[in-house]
Amino acid sequence: MSDVLLDVRNLKKYFNTPNGVLHAVDDVTFTLERGKTLGVVGESGCGKSTTGRAILRLHEPTSGEVFFEGKDVTKVSNQEMRHLRSQMQIIFQDPFASLNPRKTVSEIIGEPLRLYKVHKNKKEQQDHVLELMELVGLSERLVNTYPHELDGGRRQRIGIARALAMRPKFIVCDEPVSALDVSIQAQILNLLKQLQHDLGLTYIFITHDLSVVNYFSDEIMVMYLGKVVEHASSEKLFEHPTHPYTKALLSAIPVPKLGEKKKRILLKGEITSPIDPKPGCRFAPRCEYARPECFERTPELKENEPGHFVACHFSGEF
Amino acid sequence: MAENDVKYTLDIKDLEVQFKTVDGVVRAVNGIDLSIQKGQTLGLVGETGAGKTTTALSILRLVPDPPGKITGGTITLEGKDLFAFSEKEMETIRGSQVSMIFQDPMTSLNPVMTVGDQIAEVIQLHDKIDQKGALEKAKAMLEMVGIPGNRSTEYPHQFSGGMKQRVIIAMALVCNPHLLIADEPTTALDVTIQAQVLDLMQKLREKYGTSMLMITHDLGIVAEVCDDVSIMYAGRIVEHGTLEDIFESTSHPYTEGLFGSLPNIENRQEQLKPIPGLMPDPTDLPSGCTFHPRCKYCKDICRSRVPAVTKLSDTHLVACLAYEEGTGVTLGGDGNE
Repeated sequence: MSDVLLDVRNLKKYFNTPNGVLHAVDDVTFTLERGKTLGVVGESGCGKSTTGRAILRLHEPTSGEVFFEGKDVTKVSNQEMRHLRSQMQIIFQDPFASLNPRKTVSEIIGEPLRLYKVHKNKKEQQDHVLELMELVGLSERLVNTYPHELDGGRRQRIGIARALAMRPKFIVCDEPVSALDVSIQAQILNLLKQLQHDLGLTYIFITHDLSVVNYFSDEIMVMYLGKVVEHASSEKLFEHPTHPYTKALLSAIPVPKLGEKKKRILLKGEITSPIDPKPGCRFAPRCEYARPECFERTPELKENEPGHFVACHFSGEF
Repeated sequence: MAENDVKYTLDIKDLEVQFKTVDGVVRAVNGIDLSIQKGQTLGLVGETGAGKTTTALSILRLVPDPPGKITGGTITLEGKDLFAFSEKEMETIRGSQVSMIFQDPMTSLNPVMTVGDQIAEVIQLHDKIDQKGALEKAKAMLEMVGIPGNRSTEYPHQFSGGMKQRVIIAMALVCNPHLLIADEPTTALDVTIQAQVLDLMQKLREKYGTSMLMITHDLGIVAEVCDDVSIMYAGRIVEHGTLEDIFESTSHPYTEGLFGSLPNIENRQEQLKPIPGLMPDPTDLPSGCTFHPRCKYCKDICRSRVPAVTKLSDTHLVACLAYEEGTGVTLGGDGNE
């Protein structure tokens, strides 16, 4: 194996709700190499954000192991976790809700530097903040403004600068461009790519936008109701989607091109409840190929061909 | 005007809408022309703050006044001047002749009323029909959008996002409107649900021959459902044409930028070419062509002269100085990049 930065094994996160146990993340396993991007896609409620957060222990995992550079994040002491957090950062979806409205741009970006006592004096810290602002393309004159004075794109740049402050190796990007307009979205995507190239970052890129994930990721993991249904390199996944859900998902993307009236697979019904799920394939109720067996036995995630994982009993057959 | 009666469901000329705020006058819509032929779908594309929703609200005369005011132009609905109607007449037009689907299905339904009652309310407002008949009709309409009729006694919170949007579509179409305004109807939905909803809207529209104004920022959706497209930027239409015009012979630098910002799903190596900069402040719009600060082909003349509309063909219109004679502005290449 090459240089593995993150190794997640059988990660589970359950939430207790008044109606039963909600299986938000159910047995997720994958590895991620240094400097690569893993895209995690799926629809609302499939557990993609919870996966990202459980890896960073922003949600305490119910069970499973998360090895970051060989160290099990789920078992380390709080002290060690504090150190690890500086290496593992997150960029949130909503740049309107993830910034403290009562702090200035420089205070927000400088917060991690202050907490970890990186710099001896204010001057040094301020210089570092300005450096970070330049890195993410924020003009220096904005240093004393408040988030409400800025647009979504600039706010997202603040979130990125804050995540970069401690020179992390790994960043979870949780829908970083979903709240932005297309022209701004492209600016931020290019920035994140550039930063990855320059700083050697490893990303988990969580999104529901398939064209964005294809552009951005080396590997893609498709989730459905807490389970990984397919995991492969981006090329493979887009060229040879194997799981019926992946196929439907890919066919549902509206393509901004003419004359490509492709056959769309319309899924029946909607995502079922993740509370106390019954055994069997979770996609079976919406799957056009579902057979009795699908409702009885949960499919394992199997490596169909090298690097291409699928969780479907009959994946080879259609 | 007489021929318009037949041909156009909606005809907007030189519409201007302004909002008076403490920070100054927001010029949301600055003289736009739009027309939709009977049974056709027009896509209105632009980013946040382009004035798309304000345009839509003007058609229903629902621009909040104050602070908003329609300061100029005309809107003709099936040959009749919309601004000549009394407020009472407008009430009968909204919902029966023109209806609107809003972006967020979570906030556009009344949470303390069953969905059946909400649809029936619309029917009773426009048709002489008793409560029982209206409820029956509401149920039938729910079935039509794929929701079991017996769920009409449930409340909005008992439905998922996609289902709520179906309820809203049912409500919008129940009185057979001639014009349906859909303001980002699928933005809040997941892709597989979006596909279901778009498919449903398309089928219903074909069935009733409804004209539609589709407001969206997603060019993928435009390619799928629209006949004509208008690209809007800072309150102006910068390019208008048929689907082929816009997608195959993209002419305005802003439209080009929009396409360049979209990841190409077939070629992941291709670099994104975003539009630099930000949407202009609507209280302080740039002089000349409002797009000039972000345009890579910008020349001095663009800063001072407002581009007129140039006709590239019978269907294709563009507002850019590069298409006007003697301006010296040229497109193509990579500009100053």
